[in-house]
Amino acid sequence: MALTKVYDAATVFRHLNGVLNVYKPAGMKVGHVRSAVLSNICKGLNEMKQREPRKLPENTQLLGTGTAADSVLHNIAKNVDLSDDILCTGPRYMPDDIRCATVASLGHHTSGVLLFGINKGLRQSSRIQKNRPVRVYHVTGRMGTATENHLPDSRITARSNHKHISAERISGLAASMQASHQRKMYELCGVDLQTQAAYELACKGLIRPADNSLPVIYGIKLIYFERPHFTLEVHAINETQEYLTALVHDMALELRTVAHCSQLRCIRHAHFDVTDSLLRHGWHLPGIVKNLRQQQEILRAHPQMLEQERIELHA
Amino acid sequence: MFGSAIRNIIIKNAQNAAKFKAIGAQCRHLRSNRSTQSEADTLKPIDLTTKPNDKELEPTPQDSSAVALDFGNREAHVPSFNLAAYVNNSSTLQHLVSLGVDLHSIERRKGLGEFVLRLDFEKNIKPCLSFLADQGIAPDDFGRMITKNPLLFKEDIDDLQTRVEYLKSKRFSDEAIQRIFTQNPFWLMFSTKRVNRRLGYFQKEFHLSGHDLRLMATKEPNLITYKMEHLRKSVFTLREEMGFNAKELQSLIVRKPRLMMIPPDDLVERFSYIHKGMGLPHSQIVQCAELLASREFRLRERHEFLKLLGRAQYDPQKDLYISPRTIVQGNNFYFVRNVAKSDLETFDLFLKTR
Repeated sequence: MALTKVYDAATVFRHLNGVLNVYKPAGMKVGHVRSAVLSNICKGLNEMKQREPRKLPENTQLLGTGTAADSVLHNIAKNVDLSDDILCTGPRYMPDDIRCATVASLGHHTSGVLLFGINKGLRQSSRIQKNRPVRVYHVTGRMGTATENHLPDSRITARSNHKHISAERISGLAASMQASHQRKMYELCGVDLQTQAAYELACKGLIRPADNSLPVIYGIKLIYFERPHFTLEVHAINETQEYLTALVHDMALELRTVAHCSQLRCIRHAHFDVTDSLLRHGWHLPGIVKNLRQQQEILRAHPQMLEQERIELHA
Repeated sequence: MFGSAIRNIIIKNAQNAAKFKAIGAQCRHLRSNRSTQSEADTLKPIDLTTKPNDKELEPTPQDSSAVALDFGNREAHVPSFNLAAYVNNSSTLQHLVSLGVDLHSIERRKGLGEFVLRLDFEKNIKPCLSFLADQGIAPDDFGRMITKNPLLFKEDIDDLQTRVEYLKSKRFSDEAIQRIFTQNPFWLMFSTKRVNRRLGYFQKEFHLSGHDLRLMATKEPNLITYKMEHLRKSVFTLREEMGFNAKELQSLIVRKPRLMMIPPDDLVERFSYIHKGMGLPHSQIVQCAELLASREFRLRERHEFLKLLGRAQYDPQKDLYISPRTIVQGNNFYFVRNVAKSDLETFDLFLKTR
């Protein structure tokens, strides 16, 4: 099929369905991102070719004086319904016209992959949400100072030395935490660990939680260490920003020091990777349409993201 | 039959003085009346039925808060949420639309929709427009001006003339006056006394010369009619919190009068990043006032990218100097190619690590 350029806003709007992968900057609320994306979509649509104002019905009564200079007569002679003009009705597309929902929210300080379902993509996005795919984070901690809410922008509550911390010690702790979280995962399933059912579940591999009440961590790995900073890669489901920051704080306490979280970045949400996500300067209509198409291809390549029946974890 | 029904309703209406309910019912009758008749393709009976209504409807605009007089009999009392409902029958509104006035944005502001409906093109609007044309304002700008400030038509032409004369007496050039009025149609609503007081405030506060004051007012006409409370706060922020001295402040606000209209909290945030994060002294910030006018995230992104490339060198005495002014110029593509001398892919990758 030959590609054609589209100038018509209605055509674009009709095809504006799917899952959108946006790179959320840190320090910007999800609602703010959402309204920025939606208003940019509307701005783009309103700059394209619009539908003409409606025609008036054939025998509308002329209420003007009927002279040649009278513009009322003039307009109605052209049979254009002025009440449908853009200047009277306002812009043809407004942010409220576009249905939009996040798959899973990110905290204020978290940056990274943020998925939106747009229009008919809402169905896909809610399905992805119900399947509870894993999200991968890069969490950077800064040792030496603890803050009130474990983030860099609040008051410092404690300082400590961190000379004794080495990469090996952090890795060791991360591995043991991962093991204990995996154990918790089976407990959340509601089966007794000493039963045949638990054994069969464990044979299948990792399993997913049924609801979104409790955070579950599948993997913690140290990927970068340069005093005083260290970066952990965390694979998790149902996590929140508060949970991850508290995790860093608790890990530091285990290591006999204090730390706060200097950066949180979501690099993957199911198969939606940070490399495909749309940066802030790409939040315009052409970029968004292109991104919707890319994510559509990813969804097609991995249909199990939309319908999973098995309990065990994959992708 | 319908006529008598309506008459009954109107009599009842007069007794009960339950205006709104009756008007609603009346409209419904009129509408059904019209629709049935037009389906039958008979034009004459419509005139017959609408004419008697006409006589009885005439007194109502006086006792109720009359909406408009201009449009046809049928639509006169149909309550509506927007001006679009009246446009087909009102020549004033049609004139406004042909001027390019955005009725949709007018009706969203409180009370303005009703005000616009009451206007008469020949009587209220035309003199005002011809006055504006006499000042040399291009007719293309009328639409935008009226959209911003429809209350312009409320003012007396003599008053407007006085205000223009005042500006001329202050030696504003004709081009400056045109720019002021097109950029800020609210200026014309301010009495000469008030404008004088405001200009005086700026002149005294910053010890501006007449030329600088005119330059500032022409550059950013919105500043003069801005909220005084907000301006005082901004001046305090600039002077006390950021610590610019009188001389620096003067050149800063003449270069970038918009700074005073930015919320002070944002301004302090930007300043602290420029001063502490980028390490620019006050004197250099004054040289590039654009820095303070750019949003903080934009500055941060670009500065940190330059730092990553090892090109963040803002000292003109040393090699590889990059003017801070060029950092905030242009879009990301321009910045990456011309200032950072890198490519957009690198910049994107960099942005995705933070």
